[in-house]
Amino acid sequence: MNALTRLCLLAAASLAVFVAAVCVGPTHLLDLPRCFELLRTGAATPELERASLVLWELRLPRVLLAAAAGANLALGGVLLQAIFRNPLAEPYLLGLSSGGALGAVAALAAGATSVTWPALAGSLALAAIVLLFCRRRIAADLPSLLLVGVALGALAQAFTTAIILRFDPGALRSILFWLMGSFAGRGWTEVWMLLPAALVGGLAIWLLHRPLDLLALGGESAHHLGVRVPLLQTAGIALAAVLAALTVAACGTIGFVGLMAPHLTRKLVGAPHGISVPGSMLVGATLTVGADLAARTLLAGTELPVGVVTGALGCLFFLALVAGKK
Amino acid sequence: MKAEQEPFLQARAVRAGYSGREVLRGIDLEVRRGEVLSVAGPNGSGKSTLLRAVTGLLPLHGGEVRIGGTPLGDLSAKERARRCAVQPQVEAPMFDYTVGQFVLLGRHPHRPPLAAATAQDRDAASRAMEETDLAGFGERSIRSLSTGEWQRTLLARALAQEAPLLLLDEPAAHLDPGHRFVVHTLLRSLAREQNRAVLCVSHDLNLAAEFSDRMIIMTQGRVQAAGTPEEVLTEPNLREVFRCEALRVAPNPFTGRPGTFFAP
Repeated sequence: MNALTRLCLLAAASLAVFVAAVCVGPTHLLDLPRCFELLRTGAATPELERASLVLWELRLPRVLLAAAAGANLALGGVLLQAIFRNPLAEPYLLGLSSGGALGAVAALAAGATSVTWPALAGSLALAAIVLLFCRRRIAADLPSLLLVGVALGALAQAFTTAIILRFDPGALRSILFWLMGSFAGRGWTEVWMLLPAALVGGLAIWLLHRPLDLLALGGESAHHLGVRVPLLQTAGIALAAVLAALTVAACGTIGFVGLMAPHLTRKLVGAPHGISVPGSMLVGATLTVGADLAARTLLAGTELPVGVVTGALGCLFFLALVAGKK
Repeated sequence: MKAEQEPFLQARAVRAGYSGREVLRGIDLEVRRGEVLSVAGPNGSGKSTLLRAVTGLLPLHGGEVRIGGTPLGDLSAKERARRCAVQPQVEAPMFDYTVGQFVLLGRHPHRPPLAAATAQDRDAASRAMEETDLAGFGERSIRSLSTGEWQRTLLARALAQEAPLLLLDEPAAHLDPGHRFVVHTLLRSLAREQNRAVLCVSHDLNLAAEFSDRMIIMTQGRVQAAGTPEEVLTEPNLREVFRCEALRVAPNPFTGRPGTFFAP
């Protein structure tokens, strides 16, 4: 079976998960007898109007948002794993989520009602500081770039904690929920922020697929094969930072997807970036949509933050990876 | 085959190094099409730094490098890669490509962005794999290779670039005697029959003596001796450069080329 066939199968499987996620929930939207009934009578019943409202205002934006977030995080993982030649590289390792969280929490403390833009500003500011810090030495010193990201992320986390402690217990709960990542309570605004970013970003990264294949060989080999290495590294890190910052701003911190999706994809469809870039978008989207479906249906009457589910999945994934290697 | 007048690789008074520490202190070097030049020298004498400097990986502190008559700085990244291919000494595989996919990456400088591999690209890749004794390895995973097979895969990728200038960093370091012979015979035929310029960094003085037209011995960032193997591989030169009194030189009884031996 060639790589393209496997990619098509992957797309079909992803689509099935998306449709399931749209239909399943407290209001089941896939009730065939009722659909036929509606088609036959054509009557606009209150029941139909309610279902339509659930579909257009709740389920569809939520699933699209989850899919776009997963695709964005996976794209960041693909980029950073190739650039850093490190299988553990992912967008949040550059401190992006901590920067976003600090921006959001600081805005809430100042009395803001929406955290999207402050979170975006926080993540981008942190990414910019990391890049400025290392701008002369990116090619020579990739590991220290990661260290700067980790260090600044820890600093941002410390500030975040200091601010959170000043909130009253009622507000604390909603902040923690935001920090853990969730697709609840978002709407089309966030979808229009993330979905175009995922599609444009995915296309841009796919256009770079051959240089990325070469960059994964190492900076020196890529140079000898005709790649402008510092340019590609800087552009790739900046692109991953923007995608992750948008995602943090829209949905909070959803860990492990950027890490898991590229690994799973290389196993499922293969390593060359021409195929693993679109593959990772699908796998990342399917992981978050599936995790969100689990988060809102596993416990009756309550909803888990989706970050809890992806964290648990990530743990299982890595234990399986280690067990498989032995 | 007659060598061209203009050397394909020219380095003049090249100085280069790392953050404050100067490793190359004025190196002059020429490699013509049709010849194999071997570079030897003790560890830390600047051989790998020399390869980095003439390929533009390290900024020059002074001097000039020309490839195919053009100053290095005037070449675009892809044009440089069409003129000069490098086999690195080490490279760790990151992702799981097949040998065929991996060797085809060497065609990057010849392919327009997004263009699929042409028949010409595939021919060049499979020819490179045949020349390095890797025919039939196309579908193997690069992670399943032995050290020697991996080294030959790296050479195949450099050959697939079809560049007139080939720079090799210890191409035979991990090879068994049979494959070491195959690789060096190949390098000589690349120079003689395909009119390429070959520069080969090697610690194996005997192989260098057999297969190169000219040799350079470096020490402390300078060229200590340059010329034919007979001129360079003399006991005084070797004892001074390698600081080893036990080194002796005697002609190879079968070829007459200078052979290096230990006489403790």
